[in-house]
Amino acid sequence: MDEQILIEKLKQGDEAAFRQVVETWQNMVYNTAIGILQNAEDAEDVAQEVFVQAFESIKTFKAESKFSTWLYRITISKSLDHLRRKKRKKRFAYVQSLFGADNQTIIEKPDFHHPGVILDNKERASVLFKAIDRLPENQKTAFTLHKLEGLSYQEISEVMKTTLSSVESLMHRAKNNLKKWLAEHYESG
Amino acid sequence: MKNKQDIQDAVDKTMNSLDGLQRAMPRPFLFTRIKARLVREEKSFWSRALDFIGRPAVAMAAVVIAVIINATVFFELQSEPAQNAQDEEQVFASEYNLSTNTIYDASIDQ
Repeated sequence: MDEQILIEKLKQGDEAAFRQVVETWQNMVYNTAIGILQNAEDAEDVAQEVFVQAFESIKTFKAESKFSTWLYRITISKSLDHLRRKKRKKRFAYVQSLFGADNQTIIEKPDFHHPGVILDNKERASVLFKAIDRLPENQKTAFTLHKLEGLSYQEISEVMKTTLSSVESLMHRAKNNLKKWLAEHYESG
Repeated sequence: MKNKQDIQDAVDKTMNSLDGLQRAMPRPFLFTRIKARLVREEKSFWSRALDFIGRPAVAMAAVVIAVIINATVFFELQSEPAQNAQDEEQVFASEYNLSTNTIYDASIDQ
């Protein structure tokens, strides 16, 4: 079905159209979410939230951008919100543990293994994901969209509603930061 | 691994470790779970409304508004001269003929 017709049907609340939207874009949404969240369960949860919001707010979608660009924006916004909530909870648990409010120990984040990584690169990719997790939000978003989703800098600038030069700068800083942290990691290892 | 060249090689290899990556896929039947979530969210409208009312900020705001309204009414009434209330009483009494007749009124009527 043509994308425009599909969107029109979705605006009318057509269930078959909604099913097709989910089936067409579920991998894109899930892969982006898992790249940012580095956790399969959280990514599944966010993917569901993204499609629920897309269904509920499809009437606000104006065809000024591509539908996939709109979905990417929702996915990134939801993923970053999820990440912030999780960090807040972790910080709260840490403060509680300082005051001895409960005896729960804070569990360190386990190594993340992306299911789509080539087997030979599994260990190295896990180290890289740990470093990506330390990046500031906008650098992390740009790097994830480029490396995991294969988007061009131009496409990333449309998703992030910024200029091409800003994306170039974000990517440059992201790569520099990652290289610095990786060098430190291998020096100490 | 302490050799500078080795470290540089390791960094480069790690930076390129996502090359050839394939998209991760969600578990099957994602659409079914999304549908169930939509139905669950529709059903829980009233529980969400109750949650909203029960939020400490909303409850506190409601208490503050109630206190302000009470205080405003209280001070408004206090600032009115007592004379007015008396006048109103007299007007009400005369309108409904509630004035107490005295013995003198009776003698005049006769």
